[in-house]
Amino acid sequence: MKTVSLGQYYPAASPLHRLDARMKVCLSILFIVCTFLAKNICAFAALVAAMLILVALSRIPLRLILRAVRPVLFIMVFTAVVNLFVTKGENLLFSWWKLQIFREGIYNASFMLVRIITLVVGSSLLLTYTTTPIQLTDAIESLLSPLRVFRLPVHEFAMMMTIALRFIPLLSEETAKIMNAQRARGVDFSVGGPVRRVQSLVPILIPLFVSSFRRADELATAMECRCYRGGKGRTKMTIPHLHARDGVALVLLLLFGTGIVLLNRYGYGYTMTR
Amino acid sequence: MDKIRLEHVSFVYGDKTPFRAEALHDVSLSFGAGRVTGLIGHTGSGKSTMLQLLNGLEKPNEGKIYLDGQDIFAKPREMRQIRFRVGLVMQYPEYQLFEETVRSDIAFGPRNMGLSDEEIAVRVTEAANFTGLPSALLDKSPFDLSGGEKRRAAIAGVMAMRPEVLVLDEPAAGLDPRGRDSILGGVRAYKEATGATVIIVSHSMEDMAMFCDDLVVLSKGKVLFTGTRNEVFSRVRELEEVGLAVPQMARLMMLLREKGLPVPENIYTVSAATEAVAALFE
Repeated sequence: MKTVSLGQYYPAASPLHRLDARMKVCLSILFIVCTFLAKNICAFAALVAAMLILVALSRIPLRLILRAVRPVLFIMVFTAVVNLFVTKGENLLFSWWKLQIFREGIYNASFMLVRIITLVVGSSLLLTYTTTPIQLTDAIESLLSPLRVFRLPVHEFAMMMTIALRFIPLLSEETAKIMNAQRARGVDFSVGGPVRRVQSLVPILIPLFVSSFRRADELATAMECRCYRGGKGRTKMTIPHLHARDGVALVLLLLFGTGIVLLNRYGYGYTMTR
Repeated sequence: MDKIRLEHVSFVYGDKTPFRAEALHDVSLSFGAGRVTGLIGHTGSGKSTMLQLLNGLEKPNEGKIYLDGQDIFAKPREMRQIRFRVGLVMQYPEYQLFEETVRSDIAFGPRNMGLSDEEIAVRVTEAANFTGLPSALLDKSPFDLSGGEKRRAAIAGVMAMRPEVLVLDEPAAGLDPRGRDSILGGVRAYKEATGATVIIVSHSMEDMAMFCDDLVVLSKGKVLFTGTRNEVFSRVRELEEVGLAVPQMARLMMLLREKGLPVPENIYTVSAATEAVAALFE
């Protein structure tokens, strides 16, 4: 399993990759707010346009981006169906038994779909696809650092996240190895009923637990050997700097948000009720 | 007679991703039946990958693998039978132990084969004997054993399936000399009792010289050369060019021969070298 990548990060040389991670966290929060601000067809069209621009900027293959949408497919369908039937309006299009579909329902359902897609694609392009997990935890630590005033262990929290992220590829590699070892002894993970299948996990889970504890122990010792004693007075190897491009990105997105608000007010067509 | 034959085998990790890495490139090779073949190569030369192809844990992107002349991927449903016939001991196999007792862990493979309880008991005792595990250890928890004992228990777990081909990936890595001897001795005992074909990866050229009939040298996913132990170890310079060593005594003898001293070839152990040098003074 040499192919395990950390999270969903996709290495490429794009303007989105170069942005400061802290800025990207703020930008994606802003973008998410924008997706919720949009209320009519003009605003949603602007959202879709912005999403397409992000896709083009990111230089990430389309099939990977589509893969980000797949996990929320169920939520999308569910929300769309609920909106379709629950929304009451003036133009009744279809009615059968207790089910009624209004034109407004169709609008609401499709707006919700667009909202979820732009939200998922936008935030994964701005964050998970273009930012390494380490950059991300550093950014979160830096953004949360004002909370230290309230004696919140921000550094420890970030360190926990870093370690957890670091262990994901290790453990998945370990799992693959143990699975292979047990398959070599004749375990077949794909046959039998549910009980058999759960049973066949035992030979994997036990070694995996044992080795996770061992690794955690070794890591703790290694950190202590290097005199790790928490966040106080710790310096960073790479100190992130904000560049002009980060400012430009922020201004662009703020303009975009303003644009969405204006389109909501002056655009035409059906306005979403929620 | 070839036991296992690889024809134009290529294997790529993470094909069609930015992390693409070719592990094996157009490898054709055969392992003689009943012989002990050693695989030599650097980290990343494709050794471990090749071992995982031999019992079908991984499928080559191109090429075919034959066991006794039959394509092992021809019937995907019978893959398990291939794995019982080609027993693979992975690197650091002690991390795969999971049962409550050593006995039931060794019995795990045979139980998956669907053997009777009596037959399983016979096989467990037999495998424990090969690897030199005292019967007192068999009822302990595998997690209470020492590192070397765990390793032997894990190897016994594969031997208990009585594979026709025993494949071992660095079985002695990280053990002290005594632990290493007992593991290699166990493999030899298994081979002598069953006539199995053995394929082994090791970084110790001394072990390889003592243990193997044939050697295969891999470099960057390709077969550099193959041959009997003596053929391969006589190519000292070529091996050194790719950064691999020959057994130290073989190198010493070669240097002596270059100085014009009449010492014999194919000497790999300190004791044999001592005799050869002593003979010079007689």
